Amino acid sequence: MGRKILFITTDQMRYDAIGANGGRVARTPNIDSFAADGISYDRAQPQNVVCMPSRSTMVTGQNVGTHGVWMNGVPLPVDSPSVAAVLRDAGYRTALIGKSHFEPLLDPFLRFEENQQGFIGATEGHRGFDHMELATHGAAGFTHYSRWIRQNHPEAIGMFFQVLDGDLEVSDVPGGDSGAPQIKHNAVPRDWYHTDWVADRTISWLDGLNSDDDWFCWMSFPDPHHPWDPPESELHRVDWRELDLPVGYPQNQAEREAIIDAKPRHWRLWYDGKLVSNYEAPGKWVPATLTADQILEVNAMAHIENELIDEAIGRVLAAIEAKGWSDDLDIVFTTDHGEFQGDFGFLFKGPYHVDSLMRIPLIWRPAPSAGGGADATARVSKPVGLLDLAPTFCAIAGVQPPEWMEGRPLPIDDADATARGFERVTTEWDSRQPDGTEIHLRTIMRDNFVCTTYQPGTVHDGTEGELYDLVLDPLQQINLWDDPERRSLRDELLIDLAANFVEPIEFRHAEAPV
Amino acid sequence: MATIRSHARVHRTAEDVWKIVGDPTRIVEWFPGVTEATVEGNNRTLMLKAGLPVHEEIVTLDHRMRRFQYRITGPLPIKYHLGTMDVIEDGEPGCLLMYSTEISPDPMAFVLDGVISEGIGNLARMLNDHTEEQR
Repeated sequence: MGRKILFITTDQMRYDAIGANGGRVARTPNIDSFAADGISYDRAQPQNVVCMPSRSTMVTGQNVGTHGVWMNGVPLPVDSPSVAAVLRDAGYRTALIGKSHFEPLLDPFLRFEENQQGFIGATEGHRGFDHMELATHGAAGFTHYSRWIRQNHPEAIGMFFQVLDGDLEVSDVPGGDSGAPQIKHNAVPRDWYHTDWVADRTISWLDGLNSDDDWFCWMSFPDPHHPWDPPESELHRVDWRELDLPVGYPQNQAEREAIIDAKPRHWRLWYDGKLVSNYEAPGKWVPATLTADQILEVNAMAHIENELIDEAIGRVLAAIEAKGWSDDLDIVFTTDHGEFQGDFGFLFKGPYHVDSLMRIPLIWRPAPSAGGGADATARVSKPVGLLDLAPTFCAIAGVQPPEWMEGRPLPIDDADATARGFERVTTEWDSRQPDGTEIHLRTIMRDNFVCTTYQPGTVHDGTEGELYDLVLDPLQQINLWDDPERRSLRDELLIDLAANFVEPIEFRHAEAPV
Repeated sequence: MATIRSHARVHRTAEDVWKIVGDPTRIVEWFPGVTEATVEGNNRTLMLKAGLPVHEEIVTLDHRMRRFQYRITGPLPIKYHLGTMDVIEDGEPGCLLMYSTEISPDPMAFVLDGVISEGIGNLARMLNDHTEEQR
């Protein structure tokens, strides 16, 4: 009997969302508890800051340029390599419960396997998962969760925020107390909400296993991704009027706009509502109109959703304990990318490679039976990426990571990271919108600097970039790209980036906007 | 308004290809996700695998020019749509199959581009094993 692997992901969660990483609002005792017994990575980055490319990296262990899912809407081919298949071949029972998003969600012709399975309620899975029960936020799409809602609680369908408007654009309809976009007071009972459903289905799948089975379960929560519409019964948890504004939000308008103006031009264009560079941010919403109250209310909603996630995790861990598996259990917790949540005066995400979106929580609590516990406690400051997860799962299972995986098993501490050369992590962005807008970013993080170069597109001419000193400027408010004194550093980082970045072989067609 | 276009060279005569393209009910044989097609007068109704109907107006069915045009009228969230299929004898071997779409709102272009390209590929393969599928 070997180690069991519980892989927990959230969607669009900031590094500072949890107590273990210094979060002071959302109470996350369950996450904090296994973090205290495990390894926390303080510089973990996704290889792309939107869902489909990032999740494709998680399941393949490959860079975006290799798996080819270069923007949302580009499906991961069904025959792409999968860590779940590797583990299944090694004798593991495998499941993915919650949000997958390897294939487009907007699929009225039901072309994609995961939507087909969700539509008919089949759970046999694919991509190496022998069980899949899928969900996304609310009752939208053809997921197992939306089918469950339609069949059991049809009155709840209209309770969630309606994500798309009549123009099939992501809606900017205001809500809540502050009129913030994508907020709604949701009448859905808590036990019908997708967070608890994911935990319920996970527990159900675990209950069906034999006690001596080895298993890999990816439990994937759709929250705290917008829209922010947690059950209104839970709004009492965090009063937005009592929160402090994020430190990343310069409250003085002139100061805020000066910071944005020192960044590449698409920052200001989006701020003024003149550019839509990511479908998932409401196209009609103008960030310059964002108020301090709206930022506070969005943050409160995210904190509430994170508390619900933590409690759901607690229920699953209790079920695992009851099955007698805790001593053999490895827990890996992370998210696919971050969220502005008010930083610089923005919400949502897009081609903006700052810590709001790029620095994510990542925790690995090795199985106590494998020498975990106090001996494994560490904080790793060296850079790691989500492409390191798949080989880590292989290592846990005692399987040699296949050659097609491009990451490496996560280091257990900084000494291990140094010895194995964890020096840098790269993140990329490529997008082509229906109106022809093209944006391409290539980013390297190393030696406490973040350096982003912009390839020529329809907005940038190839000369723009960003360079931040994370020690002196942790909020990334001072762009050093054009600082003559940093020119040689910038050049060194760009050379290192070019040497270590995997460029896409081809840009396959997007089959949906998301 | 977004414009998308797919095409394929089919190594069959234009007359052969038009037998399928020019019969609006035969879309079920090649278009992904369509399980049923009924035509009444100038109206075509498709039933999708997901159980959703798609209502369309047949704008042009020109057997001489081998052109078929239609509009989606509901219930998909479409503000404007015109789909055009042309089967063209262009002097090269076989014929050219062209599928053009004008559509608003723009996000639907992503969805239709993918499904139409798959459909054109299906149709070309159905007619001939040797096609040059492009978009």
